[in-house]
Formats: sequence, C-alpha cells, structure tokens
Amino acid sequence: MNSTAQMILQAENITKRFGGMTAVNNVSFGLEKNEIAALIGANGAGKTTFFNIITGNYIPEEGTIYYKGQDITRLSPENRVDLGIMRTFQLASTFDNLKVIDNLRLAYYRATHKASLRNLFFSRMDRIVSAKIDECLETFNLTKLADRMTANISLGEKRVLEIAMTMVTDPEVLLLDEPFAGLSEVEIDECLNVLRQQVHKKTILIVEHKISKIQDLVEKVGVMVEGVMIASGETNEVLNCERVRREYWKTAE
Amino acid sequence: MKRFINSWTGIFIVFILLYFLKGFLPPAFLTEVVIFSIYAMGCSFLIGRLGLTSFGQPAFLAFGAYGAGVYLYYFGTNSYVAILVGVLASLVINMLVGTFLVRLNSSYFTLCNQAFCVVTFFIFQKALVKWTFGDNGLLLISRMDPTPVIDLTSPRGIYLFSFIIAILVWLFFNYLMKKSVFGATCLCVKDNEEKLRFLGYKTFNIKWLAFVIANTVAGLAGALYTVYFCMVNANIANVSSASEAVAISMLGGAGTLFGPLVGSFIFIGLKDIVSRFISHWEVLVGFLLIVVMLAGEKGIVGSLESYLAKRKAKKSMMQPALTKEGGL
Repeated sequence: MNSTAQMILQAENITKRFGGMTAVNNVSFGLEKNEIAALIGANGAGKTTFFNIITGNYIPEEGTIYYKGQDITRLSPENRVDLGIMRTFQLASTFDNLKVIDNLRLAYYRATHKASLRNLFFSRMDRIVSAKIDECLETFNLTKLADRMTANISLGEKRVLEIAMTMVTDPEVLLLDEPFAGLSEVEIDECLNVLRQQVHKKTILIVEHKISKIQDLVEKVGVMVEGVMIASGETNEVLNCERVRREYWKTAE
Repeated sequence: MKRFINSWTGIFIVFILLYFLKGFLPPAFLTEVVIFSIYAMGCSFLIGRLGLTSFGQPAFLAFGAYGAGVYLYYFGTNSYVAILVGVLASLVINMLVGTFLVRLNSSYFTLCNQAFCVVTFFIFQKALVKWTFGDNGLLLISRMDPTPVIDLTSPRGIYLFSFIIAILVWLFFNYLMKKSVFGATCLCVKDNEEKLRFLGYKTFNIKWLAFVIANTVAGLAGALYTVYFCMVNANIANVSSASEAVAISMLGGAGTLFGPLVGSFIFIGLKDIVSRFISHWEVLVGFLLIVVMLAGEKGIVGSLESYLAKRKAKKSMMQPALTKEGGL
C-alpha cells in the first residue's frame, strides 16, 4: 500500500476470531509519526482485542502489522519494546511490592540495557541513577512519592506512574488502554495534563469508550462497532458522520 | 548505607548467638538447624519472592545428597570434593528440570513439583537400586577421610563448615533479594508478570534462573546432609516430608533473610522436644503455623520486620504519615 511508507504504525486487514466469534473483522488503521489518535467504541466492540494485537498479546488470523515498513505481526511483546513501542493496561499495572522510584528504574533499565540474565544478576538497583528518571519524577509530580511503596499510593497516582514508566523509556509509540477508567474528575484532568505535554512529541494511540474526555486532544479517531471499524479519519469529520452518529452514539450513550 | 549496616549486623548477631548457643545446646541440633535453614532458604525465596510454592523440595535436596553420596561411595574419599560434586550435579539437573517446570503457573507448578518428587523418590528407591541400595542407602562412614583445615568428619568441624556456608548463602541472598536488579524483577513476576513482559523483560528466563538458584541451594544442603550423617538413603526424597520446607519458610517468613533460620530453629526444636512427649509432634507445628499465618501471613521474621519499619516510620516522619497514608 502506498500510505504504508509515511505511517509509523500500520495495521492492515486484521481479523481475529475467538472460537466461532469474530472479535475483529478486517480492520485497518494507521498512525502517522507524532500523531495522537483515539480508538473508540462500546464495550465489546473489539477495540481492546485490536489494541492487544497491535501490542503483541495476540497474533491475528489474518492481516499484517507494519512498524516503519517492517512486518511485526508475529513479534513478541518483549521484542516490540526494543523497537520503541510501549503500552499501558486497562487496570493500572504497577509493581506494588516495589517503591515508586524502583518502578521507574526497572523501566529505564530495560530501555538502556539488554535484559540478559547476566546483566540483571550483576546490576544493582541503587546504581540505576539517571537524570532522565529524576526528570520524569518531576514532570509527573511523583517526586514526593518516590520512596513510597507503590501499594500505598492512590489509583490515580498509579495511572500517572504507569504513564511515567512508559515515558522514561523514551518510546516512539505510546499505546494507552483506557487510561481514565476508574478515575475521579480531578485525577482525569491531571492525567490529561500529562498527556497534553506529550502531544506532537510522541505517537500516541488511546483506547476509550467515551470520546468526550479526549475529543479536543486527539486529531484522528477510529470508531469500532461489533468488530468492524465503521469510520476513521479526522476527529470532527468522523464524529459528525451520519453512520457514526447513528450507530456509535446509540450503543455508547 | 544504613541498610548495608543492618543486614551485616543481623548476620553478625546471628553468628555470635549461634556460637554461644553451642555451649548450651547439643551441636547435633545446631548443625541440623543450620543445614535445614540453607535448605529452606531456596524454598522461601521461591515462595516469598516469586510466588511459586514448590511441594517437591525433597527431590532437589536428594540430587545434592546423592551427588555427594555417589562420589564418596564409588569415586573418592574427600568430603570437600563430594559437596562440590553434589552441588554441580543438582545444578545440572535443575537447569534441565527448570526448563519444563517453570512453564507452569501457581498450583500447577506446586503439584507438578510434587509429582516430580514422587518420580525422583521412585528412581532412587527402585529404579537405581543396584547403585543406590534403595532404603538401606549408601553407608559412607568408612569411606570418608579426615579433611584438611576443617575436619568435616568431626561433629564440630561439620557444624563450623555448614555455618560458614550458611553465612555465604545469606550474603548471597542478601545481595540477590535486596540489591540486584534480578531480585527486583523476581518480585515483579510475583506482582504482575504480564506488565513485566511488556516492559521488555523475558519473564521465563527470570523464573528459570530463580528456580535454578533456589534448588541448587537445596542441593547444597543435601550434600551437607550426606557428609553430616555419613550416609544417604532414598528416604531423603520422600514426598511425605515435602511440606517441611514450605512450613518452615512460612513459619519464619517467606522471602525474608532470616526467616528460614528462625523457622528451622523452631521446627527442629519442637521436633526434638515435643516428640519426647507426644508421638505426633507435627500437630503442634500445624497449630503454630495456623496461628502465625492468621497473625498476618508474613511469618515471624516478616511480622517483626514490618513492626520495626512501622515504628521507625512513626518516629521519623509523623506528618506525611498522617496526611497521605492509605489512599484509595
């Protein structure tokens, strides 16, 4: 395809079935460099499945995923990290038994070292020191919490920490799976502020089931209904399109 | 720096304590406690740091024990070399076995370890009976020469030697659990394995290495057992004693540095004292385990550690604790 060349991440004709059910049906979606996009749809529309295919959880039955022109469809999640693709999880995923700063250290360590057993064994946790980690703590307002156990911080703080963990690795593509689920309004605003700082610096894809929170943030939207992408393109165009109004608003509201 | 001093003072205090206890308690008891604490260390690491509970530890104990035993019976007379052979034998076997067992999760891991233990018992008792003499075992007392520097054939010598080994094992695990990146990733496997994968770490390799380290330490304890008892028989791999290592780990505090030692001390102490009065001394261990678990699931050392940490936090930073504890 012609457009593949300019796209940093391109999914083409992806189909994924679970047993008899087709969760994702012939979906194509692409991200340009430093673009911020959203994937929306009701619960069960297949957007998380599609997202998991991009991140490497699942291998699709049909279709290909290209990253900078390279086929990464069958690449393991561990190896996708090397290419600069990072994701977050729907349930805030941090390491509760570690200190906040150690969470960031582990993420940073992997981005700067090969994770061979020899490296892991002979490196010391307290020797992982970097201006990048301090800078991240500062940007994401985590400096006060640095020495706290992650189990003892709030859900909102965990979400911010999770985004910080991806940012400390300096990824090229950032994939966020429902980053606002379960947060209070204040915490959502904090998270949004964090994201706004990254607009046009990184390529970001956000999965959400409600567009309202991120409508002014994203440039591009894909709408999924029952495993099919019914529309994709510029935010305002897509949201005003007749079919999206009829099908998406009906199921989502 | 402060932490560094703490773990060293801990080891120092234990050293002094055990040295003085030697005057009051029979050395046979202390030797057994020290060797058992080495054995439980590996199990405790697996449970507390990786969240993998193994009910097959006797098998890994047996590989080290038979490694040393077979060497002494058929090949040489030097106990040092025997211990080395035992450790190497268990290392090789663990590297192979780990490749399969580590693929399993939680309860499947527990049960397959137990199954593996049953198979191992059968191999040593029946399949290789020509060489291992099954339940009668290999009697080594006439085949062990006195060794230079520390005489491993004397009770005092083996006590001192296993004690030095135990200190080295503690120092090793202290580094592994509290300092190294590897130790931190182990905790992450317990917490959230999937997240660790998506940070780019190969979790299978991490679990494999942890499995090999923990069980080779068990093998080391097995080799020490052989030299200490001057014999080894198939009963060492008996699956009925599989819960001992797990019970000791949990009693002392899984994943703590001194938990296995405290656990072994209590366990073997109870065994020695109570078995004089009641034939089923395990009943008391069972009760004690339930009480300790209900008191916070952290074991004796774990509960003590968190109590001390709490007191320290109360003393040093009153305000942050009041304003920001708990959260959601």
